[in-house]
Amino acid sequence: MARRIAVLIFPGTNSETETLALLRDCGGEAELVHWSRAESLAAYDAYVLPGGFAYEDRIRAGAIPAHDPMMDYVIEGAQRGKLVLGICNGAQILLEAGLVPGTGAARRPTAAFTHNASRKFVCAHVYVKLATAPSRSPITAALAEGTLLPAWAAHGQGRLAASQMHLREIERGAHLAFVYARADGSIDPAATPNGSALGCAGLLNREGNVLAIMPHPERDAWNFNHPDRREGRNMLAVSGGAPLFASFVAGVQRS
Amino acid sequence: MPMRSCSSRDRCPPESGLPKSLALRDDELRSIAERLGREPSQTELHAFDAQWSEHCSYKSSRHLLKALPTKGEAVVLGPGEDSGILHLGEWNGERYGIVIAHESHNHPSQVVPFEGAATGIGGIVRDIVCMGAEVIAVADPLRFGRIDDPLSHQRYVAQGVVDGISAYGNAIGVPNIAGDVYFDERFDDNCLVNVVAIGLVKESEIIHSFAPPNADGWDIVLVGKATDASGFGGASFSSVTLDAADEDANKGAVQVPDPFLKNVLMRASYRVFALLRERGITVGFKDLGAGGIMGCSAEICSSGGFGADIQLRSVNVALDGLPPEVIAVGETQERLLWVLPPELTPEVLRIYNDEYTLPQIARNARAAAIGTVTARQQYVLRDGERTVMDVPIDFLTGSIRDELPYERPEAAPPPPGRAFETGVQLDELLERVLAHHDVCSREPLYRRYDGVVRGRTVLARGEADAGVIAPVPGAPFAMALSVDGNPRMSKLDPHLAAQHAVYEAVRNVVAVGGRPIGLTDCLNFGNPRKIDHYSELVAAIDGLGIASRAFATPFVSGNVSLYNESKNGNAIPASPIIACVGAVDDIAQIVTLPFKRSGSVLYLLGTPQRALGGSVLIDVLGESEPGLPSIDYDEAIAHHGLLLRAAKAGLLRSAHDISDGGLAVTLCEMAFGALGRGRAAIGVQLDDPFQWTHGGVGDIEALFGEAGGHVVEVAGADIEAFEALADGVAGVHEIGVTIDRPVVAIGPQAFDLHWLHGIWSQSLAQVYV
Repeated sequence: MARRIAVLIFPGTNSETETLALLRDCGGEAELVHWSRAESLAAYDAYVLPGGFAYEDRIRAGAIPAHDPMMDYVIEGAQRGKLVLGICNGAQILLEAGLVPGTGAARRPTAAFTHNASRKFVCAHVYVKLATAPSRSPITAALAEGTLLPAWAAHGQGRLAASQMHLREIERGAHLAFVYARADGSIDPAATPNGSALGCAGLLNREGNVLAIMPHPERDAWNFNHPDRREGRNMLAVSGGAPLFASFVAGVQRS
Repeated sequence: MPMRSCSSRDRCPPESGLPKSLALRDDELRSIAERLGREPSQTELHAFDAQWSEHCSYKSSRHLLKALPTKGEAVVLGPGEDSGILHLGEWNGERYGIVIAHESHNHPSQVVPFEGAATGIGGIVRDIVCMGAEVIAVADPLRFGRIDDPLSHQRYVAQGVVDGISAYGNAIGVPNIAGDVYFDERFDDNCLVNVVAIGLVKESEIIHSFAPPNADGWDIVLVGKATDASGFGGASFSSVTLDAADEDANKGAVQVPDPFLKNVLMRASYRVFALLRERGITVGFKDLGAGGIMGCSAEICSSGGFGADIQLRSVNVALDGLPPEVIAVGETQERLLWVLPPELTPEVLRIYNDEYTLPQIARNARAAAIGTVTARQQYVLRDGERTVMDVPIDFLTGSIRDELPYERPEAAPPPPGRAFETGVQLDELLERVLAHHDVCSREPLYRRYDGVVRGRTVLARGEADAGVIAPVPGAPFAMALSVDGNPRMSKLDPHLAAQHAVYEAVRNVVAVGGRPIGLTDCLNFGNPRKIDHYSELVAAIDGLGIASRAFATPFVSGNVSLYNESKNGNAIPASPIIACVGAVDDIAQIVTLPFKRSGSVLYLLGTPQRALGGSVLIDVLGESEPGLPSIDYDEAIAHHGLLLRAAKAGLLRSAHDISDGGLAVTLCEMAFGALGRGRAAIGVQLDDPFQWTHGGVGDIEALFGEAGGHVVEVAGADIEAFEALADGVAGVHEIGVTIDRPVVAIGPQAFDLHWLHGIWSQSLAQVYV
């Protein structure tokens, strides 16, 4: 039986449409699950937390939704090895829930995606580069070494912040999954749109089954989304950031 | 029923013993007492005050607006309800419509910029949702005062407005795909914050903002935020001239934004749409704008031919002890109103209150039945046992009209007819024009707005002249959107400038390969009771009609915003701001602005004129020059047809319109667009203008004139095919080539591309750090 993916909707989530569409276009069997139906989450095999402003970013982005009853199921599922992908606000929630980098206890965050260095929301096209071996995580296993993905950064709080000790843990434990890069794949601090520590765009937990990524690969995921991919192609075909979703879906099917 | 959506301004100071906050005139008061046969109650006074404001009634503009063309093959729903609807395309047997609304939130934004701009988006999004549509895009035309002084209120306004748009639009998850911004001292005391919202609806599932024919005895259901005292007197506030002395009172009239609640409210309403589809029931749905519960419920019932009976005690309120007139006409944000058959009400309440948990999202937010639609055509409000309002509903909502005096403005002086000359060197002209705040890069503003949420964005801001969304998954068609209106032109000639606003909006949509299918207008003007201000409005509407008919592109919705003037009584520049919707039949044929390759041939579609009036060039030289460029509609239409045919045939590598700053800026921007994409820079070699103008105009007019037109890039291999298409089309000039050197070369003079780009990209970046 095909594995089922739940796309979670918290009050304030706003990226459920494109997240669901790309999961389905990548062959995933995905459904939206709403906060008033939290208990139905137990039956799903994997979870995707889309972008938005869950609970209005009160206190700090992700801090309140990390305590929503829906997260009880996500935390329990992650501990049992289910695959979990959080994008943008979803990534912030995973950090606040302590699932990523996962070096502390549940709901005891050791790092956060917090206010950009500019203190302003930024919407900018970026590239992210896979910074770990693909086999490090079932979510990235189908990607090639050093894969470069286009994506849109669209956040006010995307700067990784942690104590020096926890940043060292992130580096040593190969938690750094994606870093910002230039269009040619080279690493350049100027390519980081938010002042993120380590140039971090995405983090994995220790076991590799939970990935938090700040920019949105799902918003540059069809040929029509990007000017460089329009000439002479099928506009409606998936491309761009889609391989990450395809790799996630493949990982879910294997799990 | 107002002919257009509610929101604008009008008012005279009260002359009699009314509360100071009321602006009804003596003659209006007398007619109310006469019709009722008694003195109106306090609640009735406030109700008529709101309902008869320009904001709701369009009393001084409605008869003028009737002259605008509103019919066309793409028009599904013209002006009359909260939004207009245009047919976009058909897919899998379903017809899809684009819902469009256009509003202003000028006065609130001048007083409290963040909240004013944010609630502007909040308000217009409801106009879209209440048609049964999903909101898929917004755009924001902005006009600010001088921002050079970092400590000035003008700078605070210009920054706060962008923060407000960013905070609200981003949170509700609607991409911001178009907009423009101008800076002028005549906006110092009165900024303009317009907003356009776009929705997508299946044409078979449109919900109307009137009670359906069988609605007698149906429930009136109020949904959303708990009613509070915010926004009390909002309609009146927006109908007077801003006075610094009243600043505190004015602040109270501004609503409080809650994008978090709006996000949930939108999604819950989409869920109700699904329920209605399932049941196949026709209902009424309308947003609460000016006049609050009273204005909305009276209009939705009266336009269906009914009356209403409402119990104000059933309204969920934020605090106890609110007087009935505040509950009735207060303009608290984030509220909508349904007219539902009673058997459906419990299910709708359950969706909002239980499934989407409104009461937990914001304090005391909920959906609740507050009254009944009645066959008896009276509008009745009750406060417990007490009847606080009981008036004939058609008298309340019926069309009142103000015939105000105006005169045809004298014809603006023509251009002097000689070639313009200046002693300033070309490099300095380029530097000053590219740094001009009306020309330089808008990225510092639009990078604050989420332009790509929902994942359907084809062209985000900065990529082309119009934003493009492919709204229907799987379908090849798309929607293009541009908003335009040039205040420098309006200062010289409101009649011709209004035509230029339409021409530029149409031109921008054509530049991406879109067929213009419809327009909206937001008419931002001064005080209609001053003859010179009102005459500008009359002249501009006439100009809009001329251009709209010429381009065969009708108006489907709009808004009027009057009383925009400075403290000393000077009007803002006449500001008809136009949005144009285009249909792109196939996303594969879209054309973008950046140069694609070196070695392409560049064509100018357009004819420069000896007319620099209103141009950026004249502004940077500190000179004054009469005479706007005229519009040759036949030539423009022929060029648009050529451009669209060439786009369809895949012959255009890039295209960009000519507007602020002229051809020189157009070419620079096409070269800038190709920078930073991980490829070699592409420069341009423009032939000496004399070679293609043949002396018809001087070099300065050729390079910096703003007569319109497009530049297109054609591959060498496609020249023959392009020229065959262009055969017989007048005003097509081969003007140069793209080159593999990073320079903009004009005749023998070459200017470093990176130097020019630095000027252009840094000018506003210093303001929006």
